[in-house]
Amino acid sequence: MKRLNILLIIVLSVVCLIYFFPIYWTVVTSVKTNLEVFTRPPVFFPSQLTLSNYYVQVNVFRAVSQTAVGSIPWMIDSTIIAVVATLVSTFLIAAPAAYSLVRYVRSVWLARLILFMTMIPEAVFVVPFFIIIAKISLLNTWWGLILVYISFSAPFSTWLLMGFFNDVPKSVEEAAQIDGLSPYQIFYRVSLRLVTPGIIAAIILSVISCWNELLYALVITYSPFPAGAQTVPLFLTSFIIAEKSFNWGGLAAAGVFIMLPTILMGVFAQRYLARGLTLGSVKG
Amino acid sequence: MQRGQALRVGLVLASPIVVYFLAFFIYPLFSLFQNAFTSDAGSFTLANFQQMLSDPILSVSLRNTLYYFAGSVTLEYSVGFVVAVILYSYAGRLKTVFRTIIFLPLMVSPVVIGLMWQMILNKNWGPLDYLLSPFGLGQVNWLGSQSLAMPSLILANTWEYSPFVFLIIYAGLQTVPPQLYEAASVDGLSRFQTFRFITLPSIRPSIIVAFLLNSIGVLKGFDLIYVLTNGGPGFSTYILSFYTYVVGFSFFEPHYAAAIALLFLAIIGTFVFLMLKFTSVEEHLGLGGGKGE
Repeated sequence: MKRLNILLIIVLSVVCLIYFFPIYWTVVTSVKTNLEVFTRPPVFFPSQLTLSNYYVQVNVFRAVSQTAVGSIPWMIDSTIIAVVATLVSTFLIAAPAAYSLVRYVRSVWLARLILFMTMIPEAVFVVPFFIIIAKISLLNTWWGLILVYISFSAPFSTWLLMGFFNDVPKSVEEAAQIDGLSPYQIFYRVSLRLVTPGIIAAIILSVISCWNELLYALVITYSPFPAGAQTVPLFLTSFIIAEKSFNWGGLAAAGVFIMLPTILMGVFAQRYLARGLTLGSVKG
Repeated sequence: MQRGQALRVGLVLASPIVVYFLAFFIYPLFSLFQNAFTSDAGSFTLANFQQMLSDPILSVSLRNTLYYFAGSVTLEYSVGFVVAVILYSYAGRLKTVFRTIIFLPLMVSPVVIGLMWQMILNKNWGPLDYLLSPFGLGQVNWLGSQSLAMPSLILANTWEYSPFVFLIIYAGLQTVPPQLYEAASVDGLSRFQTFRFITLPSIRPSIIVAFLLNSIGVLKGFDLIYVLTNGGPGFSTYILSFYTYVVGFSFFEPHYAAAIALLFLAIIGTFVFLMLKFTSVEEHLGLGGGKGE
């Protein structure tokens, strides 16, 4: 048995190494000198580290530098879009809706409908959404993407928060009612505060999904920077797809910049996220 | 609180989502049907659906979708499941470290994952060729060959999504009451028997949910394909979600794209329906698991 244990620990270590390797490779490529990026056999442990991929301007293609610093205008757009969409969807739409469903409306069919909406593939609605956003003249703006992202994150956050509101003991709300608080005050001052872990999970998952989203960013903000409001995924794809890339070190640096915030948020809130990612089927 | 007042409060709180629901769910759904059943001139037609029957790219996309779906779900599910079981039972104090590492791919943007695997699979300077060179493979054109592009895509997708299966199964394992294992050891069950007769039945809900959510996630996939192969070489990695996008925004045929989107919705609808069936919505609403309204 002892030998089996050691063997399995080794297997697990190898598995973790495989999961970690692509991230390691991106980070290590981003700090390699250009010479060591393109060698064969590949360099696993660079002999010389450089940060030039992060800031040295290589203004050849579309006057945009393929470096981490070059991605900053896209990052600003991404941040604004993700934050606004998340705050609106969490606080103005999802939290009151979830509370209403759990405490007042209590309709199984409406709850099923919310769950159904969280599972529809993005690609299904891409044509109608494009038509809607075009009709209200919001193509190539922050607001166009914000409206779309709210429509994806609101049902998801509603479903997630329903589980959390459901865990709030009714006696707390009854006590507040006896203290003379109105139903809205109970929601806003008592229950909403008690589901803070759920709010955190909803915010983080929503920010991450807006930050990472590609399809709608492609369709709704097609005109290139600085005219439109393009998010970071478009920065990377515009180089990778067109095979216009020659500066893989710089793109890797941009990749590190882009994945760093989501990884940090994810690791920080790992415990809450499990429940959110699995649509509440997990209560870890 | 009186019934009338309760209803009013409930409606007020739910009003923002109702507005959003009408504008960004009902209206797009209506628009999807409207587009699918009209011609460019605006009259009613079934031509968009007839076009599907004779569209060679659509039939290739459907076949690829099946390949991609079967390959990805099989690999992701088996890897995620096995790793979760081993990690839960044998990792001891290393659990947290291992779990955090396996959790990482879920947090990385699919576009960055595309970039990573472009670099890893690069035929000139990618590390995968080098790591496999002891097996005598030489330089392999992972992404540029018709036969290898899809397996490469499945590989990258497995890296991205097997942690998701892992997460659900692992959480299921955590909910098995320890008393069950104690009883099993008192009864003298072997490790395999314990797993077969105690663990598996206890985590049955997780096993089903993991499969359904994994299937839906795989079918939804768009980003990784767009970045890694962009459907190519040729049409060898066109799948349904990607083709919907291409028809709408490269071929500029919104009516036909809407018809394909409806087909897509019908296919994924099967899994979504099962997921709705297996999720205890009543419990989520706090209705005590009953079937009442």
